Amino acid sequence: MAALPRRIIKETQRLMQEPVPGISAVPSENNARYFHVIVTGPEDSPFEGGLFKLELFLPEDYPMSAPKVRFITKIYHPNIDRLGRICLDILKDKWSPALQIRTVLLSIQALLSAPNPDDPLANDVAELWKVNESEAIRNAKEWTRRYAMDN
Amino acid sequence: MEQFESLLTCCVCLDRYRNPKLLPCQHSFCMEPCMDGLVDYVRRQVKCPECRAEHRIPYQGVQGFPTNVTLQRFLELHAQIAGELPDPTAGQVMERCNVCSEKAYCVPCAHCDKKVCEDCKSAHMEVLRREIARINNQIRRGVNRIQDILAVVERNTSNLQTNCAAVAGEVDEIHKRLAKALKDRTDFLRNEVDRYLATELRNLTHLKDNLELELSNIQSNCDLADKYINDDVEWEDTELVDTKEIFLKTVEFLRNFDYEAGDYNRRIRFIMTHDPNQLVMHVATYGELNITHPGAYSAGLQQSQGLTRSKSDHRLATQFRQQEESKGYTENDEPILGGRKFGERRPPPPEKHTRDYGATDDYSGYESEHRPSRRFRSRFVRSHQTDNDSDTETTTRTVKAEQKEKEKEKVADTEDATRGPLSGIFRLSDCPRVMQRILDVESGKKKEKKEPPPPPKPVQPTPQPRSRPPPPARQQSEDDEITRLKRQNKGAASSQEPDRAPQRPAEEERSSINRKPPTPAREASSDGESDESVGSLQRNQRKNTTPAVKPTVTRRPSAPDTSSVHRQAVRAPSTESSASTESSGSAVKHTGNERPTPVTTNGTAGGAQRVQSRFVGSQRPTPTPAPAEPAQEDSDSSSEEETDSSEESEEEPAQQRKPESQAMARSDIGPLLARSTNARNDAHDNKNKDTSTQSRYRTRQSSQTEEEPAPRYGASGSSYSRYGSKPKDDEMTSSLDDDSKYPTARSRYLALKERRNRLARSKSSHTGFGGGDDDDQDDPVSPTTASPSAYLAARYGSGTGGSELSRSRSSHALKSRESSPERPVTGEKDGAALSSWARYLKNKYGSRGKDRDSGGTSSSTSRRLSLGLPLRSANELASSDDDSKNAAGSPISPTAATAAVAGFAAAGSSPRSQYLQKRRLQFSVGSRGSEPGCFTWPRGIAVGPDNIMVVADSSNHRVQVFDSNGIFVKEFGQYGSGEGEFDCLAGVAVNRIGQYIIADRYNHRIQVFDPAGRFLRSFGSQGTGDGKFNYPWGITTDALGFIYVCDKENHRVQVFQSDGTFVGKFGSFGSKLGQLEHPHYIAVSSTNRVLVSDSNNHRIQVFDVNGRVVSSFGEEGSEDGQFKFPRGVAVDDQGYIVVADSGNNRIQIFHPDGTFLRAFGSWGSGDGEFKGLEGIAVMSGGNIIVCDRENHRVQVF
Repeated sequence: MAALPRRIIKETQRLMQEPVPGISAVPSENNARYFHVIVTGPEDSPFEGGLFKLELFLPEDYPMSAPKVRFITKIYHPNIDRLGRICLDILKDKWSPALQIRTVLLSIQALLSAPNPDDPLANDVAELWKVNESEAIRNAKEWTRRYAMDN
Repeated sequence: MEQFESLLTCCVCLDRYRNPKLLPCQHSFCMEPCMDGLVDYVRRQVKCPECRAEHRIPYQGVQGFPTNVTLQRFLELHAQIAGELPDPTAGQVMERCNVCSEKAYCVPCAHCDKKVCEDCKSAHMEVLRREIARINNQIRRGVNRIQDILAVVERNTSNLQTNCAAVAGEVDEIHKRLAKALKDRTDFLRNEVDRYLATELRNLTHLKDNLELELSNIQSNCDLADKYINDDVEWEDTELVDTKEIFLKTVEFLRNFDYEAGDYNRRIRFIMTHDPNQLVMHVATYGELNITHPGAYSAGLQQSQGLTRSKSDHRLATQFRQQEESKGYTENDEPILGGRKFGERRPPPPEKHTRDYGATDDYSGYESEHRPSRRFRSRFVRSHQTDNDSDTETTTRTVKAEQKEKEKEKVADTEDATRGPLSGIFRLSDCPRVMQRILDVESGKKKEKKEPPPPPKPVQPTPQPRSRPPPPARQQSEDDEITRLKRQNKGAASSQEPDRAPQRPAEEERSSINRKPPTPAREASSDGESDESVGSLQRNQRKNTTPAVKPTVTRRPSAPDTSSVHRQAVRAPSTESSASTESSGSAVKHTGNERPTPVTTNGTAGGAQRVQSRFVGSQRPTPTPAPAEPAQEDSDSSSEEETDSSEESEEEPAQQRKPESQAMARSDIGPLLARSTNARNDAHDNKNKDTSTQSRYRTRQSSQTEEEPAPRYGASGSSYSRYGSKPKDDEMTSSLDDDSKYPTARSRYLALKERRNRLARSKSSHTGFGGGDDDDQDDPVSPTTASPSAYLAARYGSGTGGSELSRSRSSHALKSRESSPERPVTGEKDGAALSSWARYLKNKYGSRGKDRDSGGTSSSTSRRLSLGLPLRSANELASSDDDSKNAAGSPISPTAATAAVAGFAAAGSSPRSQYLQKRRLQFSVGSRGSEPGCFTWPRGIAVGPDNIMVVADSSNHRVQVFDSNGIFVKEFGQYGSGEGEFDCLAGVAVNRIGQYIIADRYNHRIQVFDPAGRFLRSFGSQGTGDGKFNYPWGITTDALGFIYVCDKENHRVQVFQSDGTFVGKFGSFGSKLGQLEHPHYIAVSSTNRVLVSDSNNHRIQVFDVNGRVVSSFGEEGSEDGQFKFPRGVAVDDQGYIVVADSGNNRIQIFHPDGTFLRAFGSWGSGDGEFKGLEGIAVMSGGNIIVCDRENHRVQVF
């Protein structure tokens, strides 16, 4: 295994030293490219109060390609499917090496505050979100309460 | 400030910008690797990570983007303000790492000698650390050997002393006796002479008196007669008659008296019973000191057939390089670390030879550290080396650099202070770099402790008092250390200013403690200046020290010069002849080094005294002012002298210690063995020669020649040797001749052989003796060890009926032995009588053997031990030897005696006698075919747990397993090259945990199977490199699980760990000692001797586990002890060697020391007959199993 690039080391160090409020990312003990991430649900969103577990993996050519991020905690969100995959442009074609783990996680947190049902990944959720937003929000709250709290 | 920082940070690598390139969108990124990584090569575009703008790449690539000069200025400014060190990689260009081939700033790595990236380098360093740790463990485990040796040496010292004292006592005693005898005799003779003189004198005086009386009487008579016997006087007739009678008587007396006028000059003569000259000579040489000189104790450093290096952890064992192989490399003579100072970079390879080893040897740094240098040369080599170094330095560097280099060298000389005289390994903690590191670590800790570290002060505030007392030596040393550290700090990184600043005050402090006031220049100046001043200070100190050194030089006037010259002279030939045996090298060394001794020594003191005096002299030296702890510098120079002189004088201790090393060999120290055995032979020669005591060198020489194979048989008798060599010649010519001539030559050869046989038989004892001599091991001083073979030759060679009888009878005994060891034989002797016989023999001769051993006169025990045999067997052997010998000469009829002996031997489970009875087939397994239990050309065979037989059924491409009774158990494998498949497998081995190790011959690999026959792993492929094979053949494992493979077509043996990791190799193509030609089979004894059937050289070679040759036996021929293409070789737990003498279609059994014991078998397909032998193995019960290839069967004896 090639040694860890300096950038990853730096990012990890900075994540440890200056953690982003509401986000914790801890590298796995046996793989420094694999992070255990916990994102708190943003205020004034149906996910408020939830602690969402994610996994984040930095591929070999990071930062030239985007990190792989996935929700582990179940979440009711139009841009996140049942498997936890996230539909977020910066994780796909809009990735830029100037982005970092923290920015990615912040973006994900932001995505929680602002679901985008027009670019859905979970079609049923997006449908409900468009048709009956309040019920969708209620569902989201329910899921948050059920899956993202008391764990 | 933080924002400023972030502005100077490239957002891609999150590091400070390096060579920032400005994109048209005004965003900047490092050129490498950031911008480089952004390039879309397909579209030749780069997408700005910040704004996602896409830009075409200039023609020259990303380099073509303008450099953001402003940003660079800011970077510089920032660096200035923050006082941080300039980027060490500033001027560098990224290269591909030679290991991970990532682009990075590469630096040379000493581990792999390539330019590699930081990451790989650190990984390599980690590897090195781990390796060091591992090796260190090995060393820790192995260091007790040194301790043991030390103990042995100490014991030997006292032993030697007592020995010498005893000898001196004996000499004194003899002298006394001789003197007394001489005196007694002299006194006696003197007395005799005196007595004789007295009596004779008395007689003579008596005679004289008488004569005088007579004379006076007669004269008076005459006078009277003249005067008175005339007419004047009246004489009566009677008176006249009487007178006449008296006168007549007088006449008669005068006529008759005859004095026997003997020659009184030689009345008494002194006759010597012996020729006085001879007598004087006898007395003058009335005794000799028979000094056995085994190899110098440096034999441990002998560089001979060693395992070549490996990257795995067998390194401790592989310290010793194969001498012949490394002939081409000067590195062989290289001192430790190749003459570098510790931690210095290896010099770039300017010279050819340095490149040589640099290229062949990634690990040379290591290797050389572990490879002991030839200490007799090391110094010379070292100077030579450093000369080279400095030469290259001067050409490549500036004058200043040169100066620095010199300084460094001086400083680094510290390493020599503790350089081990044997290995050349110095104490790491004494070398300045290590000190520096350790000090760094400790000061680092200190810094951590002092929580608020002293603020960096660019200028030293408090001026120190100027008064400077003359510094005692001790302070000097510490000062020196500091200066050295300083300089190294500077050398290491002039840029480490921020780091150093806090450290400096501490140093100042210490120096002030040492009352060394810094010079004013230093106080005020910048670092560079202060360093300079320190340098000058140091120079001063050097001046101080030099006078201390000088006297030592002058005190030893001519010695160093002459010796160095000698060393040079010596070195030249011996490097050239590094192919020759070690002993020859040492012989040369001897003469070379011995010669100067008369110059250096005065008087006629004995060798030991001489040595001591010189030692003392060299230790006396340095009149340094240093009282307790000698100054570093002083000890540098002085101890250098010391080592210098001790190196010289060690030549002589080497001699003196020879007897010690003999004893050391007793503790089974591998490397010493060969030497000590040689030396013993020397001793023996010495004895034989009976020349003057100065014959040392001559005997060395002669032993050398004896080691050569050709004149060996010369020792056993002239006619024998003539016959011994002649047939060979004949055969040679005959084979060269065309076929028509062949028969005649052949018959002549046969005739000669016949005669030779007869001769050999008739002087069989001689032959035995000679045979013993040949093996360089047998100590011919004790004839009993040699005689059994003679006995055997006499007995079995002639093949009398009696022996036949005893054999058959004893085989009975053998069969029944398993059930009851004490079971008596059937025959005319009943059990009770026999056992009493046995007891009698044992009592009588067993004890005698013991006596002899303890007597210490050429004790076979030590010899056996030196051969690596267990003492137990030696005793057993000795006693059994005695037994058999005595039995032959015993008054009882020979048949009965031999029968008894045979019975006793069988009952007493002496393996030797057991082997003596081997001849009858117990059973055989298999026939041609491919069904289970059948074979097609079986080759390798091995014995596994519970005496299972494992057979490599070569052309059925499978392994078959049988139980000890030959009942088929299982088979595995089939034709192919996949896992668990074979292609004409050859060797098989079973390791301690029951795994099968198979030499898969045509697949050029080794396969390992679990005890159930399931494939575990394979390793190796075709090739000539390490761990590659060319038709691997025989295979075996030792107690530690190491796997030994006969790499047949590569003419070598390779050694692996049980997991297949390459450990080492030995042997190369050739017929010299230690070389191999088509080695076929291999076996390892319980004493860790590796036996290789060197098939095309028709011999068995014995190596130690490190691949050094211990001995070799056999030559081409069909006599006893000769081979024709020997194949299988096996060794039992007692060390008896069994060889499948393929070309002669017989099995030969040898004593552990390689002397012939027994042979049986012939060509044919009947029981006990062979057609092409292959592998052979010995079961734990002593059964011999052998693969009878062309008969497609396994025979068990």
